[in-house]
Amino acid sequence: MAEKLSWTELRRALASRAGVSEKSAGAFLNSFNAQLIEALKTEKQVKVNGLGTFKLQAVAARKSVNVKTGEEITIPGYNKIVFASEAGVKELVESNGEGRRANGERLEANGEGMENDPLKKLGVQAAEIVDILGELGQSPNAEANGERLEAKGEEPVVEPEPVVEPEPVVEIEPVVEIEPVVEPVKEEPQPEEPKKKKKHHFWRDTLICVVCLLIVLVIAFFFFRSEISSWIKSFVEENKTEIVVPAEEQETPVTVTEEATETPEIEQEPEVVIEPQVEPETAVEPDLSRYKGWIKTEEITEGSRLAWIAKKYYGHQRYWPYLYDANKDHLDNPNKIAIGTPIRVPKLTKAQKDTTTVEFLELKRIAEEAIK
Amino acid sequence: MIGNETGLSKKDTEQLLATMTAILRENLMAGKTIQIQGIGTLEVKERKERVIVHPKTGNRTVSPSKKQIAFKPVANMKDHLKKI
Repeated sequence: MAEKLSWTELRRALASRAGVSEKSAGAFLNSFNAQLIEALKTEKQVKVNGLGTFKLQAVAARKSVNVKTGEEITIPGYNKIVFASEAGVKELVESNGEGRRANGERLEANGEGMENDPLKKLGVQAAEIVDILGELGQSPNAEANGERLEAKGEEPVVEPEPVVEPEPVVEIEPVVEIEPVVEPVKEEPQPEEPKKKKKHHFWRDTLICVVCLLIVLVIAFFFFRSEISSWIKSFVEENKTEIVVPAEEQETPVTVTEEATETPEIEQEPEVVIEPQVEPETAVEPDLSRYKGWIKTEEITEGSRLAWIAKKYYGHQRYWPYLYDANKDHLDNPNKIAIGTPIRVPKLTKAQKDTTTVEFLELKRIAEEAIK
Repeated sequence: MIGNETGLSKKDTEQLLATMTAILRENLMAGKTIQIQGIGTLEVKERKERVIVHPKTGNRTVSPSKKQIAFKPVANMKDHLKKI
């Protein structure tokens, strides 16, 4: 790549190939350059047939920051020259000179779409150029030249290729599937890269996932801490009451049995035993004296429950036994209430909102018993 | 126009142009750098193969290495055209 074709070399080559004196070839080239620059200035775009297009591209002014001082500066807009090689030429360069024939064919193809060419001369005469090229191809001088070029062309090809040896490694690695486009020759350095990256990505992704989960958990914990603690409390209370209930129940039979052992009159005792059973039945008539007033009368709708109403009016579902207590007269099972049943919502005093009082626990026990 | 300046016939100019581009092309094909006096250099640059990621599907493929013709204008010319 270090090889350079200098201006003089170009001039000499041009002179010998076209059969003109070096002086006139030089004059031609100079004039060509001048034309090129002029055309760039006026037309902004110059297409050199069979080679590529020179374009004058405007770069808009933009803002930047002085790295040292941090000042804002505007970089003024300017023009720059851009070169885009012709499609055919690109391929030729890629293939590193396969031969003159293909060259000529491509040229023909190029020559057809040249109408927008600023240098129209070139476009119109595309066919002639092809002819000339054909002639040149026939002349021995050019042939030798072409051969030389071919020889030169092959050399750089050889350089990238010797690296082929590690190929077997490539075949073993399954990652090759990902790159079906690539020819095997070019693969040796790549397969490891994507693999590494993939692995890397995988680990990073999992790490990120785990971290995210942890963060979400922590946030959730802080956010719902109060709720959670109240939940736990209510659970504990329920357990307590459950414990309390059997304790109370046990007491009565114990006393009864004690009485039974103490008193020989067996007939009276059943009455005593029955009494506590009767009491809740008589209590079906709600004792509304404990409530100081009514907030509202709510109708049970589809999906509604006492607990929800309790939450709505008292702020927590744990107060539902009060609702049941206040509406005991027309409620059978607090879990099975017909839709449309009116529920009176009593006002609760501060003391009543205390769920640890004996009163509340008793109400709760009754209500829970009603469920069973 | 070139013909007017150099005193060559139209046909000659065309031929010269054609041969010039042919020479340039061949040299580029051979991987040579071409200096065009007063304008700049044409150079064949090799773009290395690289891993590209399809932005939509995230597929990773390798874009093969390729050769491109790069143009580098002479500093003088660059400044000259900047002001247009």
